[in-house]
Amino acid sequence: MNPGPFLQLDRVIHEKGRLAIMSLLAASPQLSFTEMRDTLNMTDGNITAHIRTLQEAGYVSVTKEFQGSRPLTTFALTGRGRKAFTTYINLLEQIVAQTKSGK
Amino acid sequence: MESSWATESLQVIRTLMERSAIYRRALAPMMLLVGGLGVAAAVIAWFAGIGSPRGFAAYWLIVSVFALAGAFLVVRRQALMEAEPVWSAPTRRVVQALLPAFFVGLVCGVLAAWPAWREPLQVWWLPPIWMVLYGCALHSAGFFMPRGIRLFGCGFIVCGCATLAVVNARSDAAGMPDLANAHWLMGAAFGGLHLAYGVYLGFTEKGKNEA
Repeated sequence: MNPGPFLQLDRVIHEKGRLAIMSLLAASPQLSFTEMRDTLNMTDGNITAHIRTLQEAGYVSVTKEFQGSRPLTTFALTGRGRKAFTTYINLLEQIVAQTKSGK
Repeated sequence: MESSWATESLQVIRTLMERSAIYRRALAPMMLLVGGLGVAAAVIAWFAGIGSPRGFAAYWLIVSVFALAGAFLVVRRQALMEAEPVWSAPTRRVVQALLPAFFVGLVCGVLAAWPAWREPLQVWWLPPIWMVLYGCALHSAGFFMPRGIRLFGCGFIVCGCATLAVVNARSDAAGMPDLANAHWLMGAAFGGLHLAYGVYLGFTEKGKNEA
């Protein structure tokens, strides 16, 4: 089996928690901190750490604003993040396809 | 091994992407509010003696505006309390799914209320048509909401169709009872069913903001 696709997998996205965050953001234009935390059942610290890593890689943008008097933090995928996520999915599909075809 | 891991990862990604599109705010407060309003409106209409075809259609159109406004305020309050955007992507999808059937219901109501010569029997068609349309709206929105909503929508469709059959059967024979009785039908359908579903959700919804 050709190990190429597996070796090309983006290590930033590959981590379970970050992959979950990227998956949620790929399906929504933007998500708030609480929506993400509740959907993934992650702690605030976990979310913050993963988002920071994704932000440093340029995959996620963070917007902080106020809704009334309450702070509202929202996340969205950047163009670069969407491209990286699509590439990651394509590589996973290649791995599955390779095994099915027995290469 | 890599393949099974990759397949599982793809499945997890798909599930998460679907989950992020689901509307998750608590529905029980909204259902109880709309149900309470429906029952109260039926009681008020009965005692006020709103029995004209035009009055019936106009009255329930106004009640629906209040119900929609109340539902919006509940959603807004929940969003503010949870520090989430009011107009989130799942909320937008739900509203877009509801709109076509709501619009047709509005048109039917306006057409029923418009001519002064409308016969009471003609307006008896309005409650079942509204029930069917509302059920269709809920069923559409249910694709972006917890599964119970689609079942709830189907309940409205079944009740509406059954009422349509009754109205049709009695339209040329014994005739329908006084139009004032249609307020009880509206109260039972749009009030009673919402209240019952709201109570059910109140006991079964996990946490205050999940469904």
